[in-house]
Amino acid sequence: MSDELPYDRILREYLTGELRVLNAHLPGKQKSLADLWDEEYPHILCNDGSVHLFKRKELRYLTSLINSNEQKALALPILIEVNAGRTEMAVLCTGDVEKKVIQKILDMPLDVREGRITLYRPQLALVRKQLKTTTQYIFSAQP
Amino acid sequence: MSQLIKVTRPTKIELIKLRRRLALASRIQKLIKDRVSILVMEFLQIAGQTVEVKRGLLDDFSAMYKSLSLAAGYHGYIALEKEFTASEGGLEITAGLRNIGGVKIPAFELRKAQQALRGYSLTDTSSWLDRTAELSEKCLEAIVELAELQRSMAQLGMEINRTKRIVNALEHLIIPGLQATIKYLNMKFEERDREEKSRLKRVKVLLERK
Repeated sequence: MSDELPYDRILREYLTGELRVLNAHLPGKQKSLADLWDEEYPHILCNDGSVHLFKRKELRYLTSLINSNEQKALALPILIEVNAGRTEMAVLCTGDVEKKVIQKILDMPLDVREGRITLYRPQLALVRKQLKTTTQYIFSAQP
Repeated sequence: MSQLIKVTRPTKIELIKLRRRLALASRIQKLIKDRVSILVMEFLQIAGQTVEVKRGLLDDFSAMYKSLSLAAGYHGYIALEKEFTASEGGLEITAGLRNIGGVKIPAFELRKAQQALRGYSLTDTSSWLDRTAELSEKCLEAIVELAELQRSMAQLGMEINRTKRIVNALEHLIIPGLQATIKYLNMKFEERDREEKSRLKRVKVLLERK
């Protein structure tokens, strides 16, 4: 029998549950912009079983930024990593398409380091204003 | 003053468990704080957009009523009503969910029926009616957008309140409690060491006397 007090057990379970809830909304599988454009209701399934809907208006906007080959390469939603205790965020990049999209939205050159583009809060606000449904936050506990 | 957590036994194992729990609580506190700041940023952005959309909607409404009254004056109410009956149609809205840092908020989008004709006779009506129809379509779009924004604001506000309570509980109750208990256990162990040392010294003195 565990010698742990009920209060401690509740606290531990609650805290780990809270950590689980933070990233429960992440997509099970990302879809390309070209694939989403063909769907009647563009959506993806999240890890918690919910459906995340993409707005056609945003897909249209993204399509206007990149060419047809890049549309096949752009995986949506674009993931924005939030690291615990850090002021800057990072956009996870699998290729150069994400970089091109973010550069065009912010209208400034950006660097990709270790598959990530560093964004500061005012920049993030601009990106989120344009891409509400096509970006998602991912919370990372790594220091 | 933070309250001590009751420990069953003041042992080293208990101390290790408490340290692990403190590390977990601190890590989660940092994460939740980040989450709150993200949610607040989104909330403020949505609030700004709500104001913008509401202002636009009110302007469009006033322009539409002006145009409608001109059209009514030009055609007469009976003729206008006849045209409106012919132009009645369904409205299709795509409704789904989107996620902001674990908060599910609604996403609505008005699906435009790609119709060149609105249903009323173009030959019997004036451009005032076209303008009214155009503005009312714009108003509909704004109403749907406003519905999404206002619901999002309410959902985000509730979540911010809930998360802030958790952050406060962690910051002012749980973490100080764990720290105080760890400190208490450390002091207890130091006290035990001191007792042990003095006991050994006493034993040594007694042995030397013999």
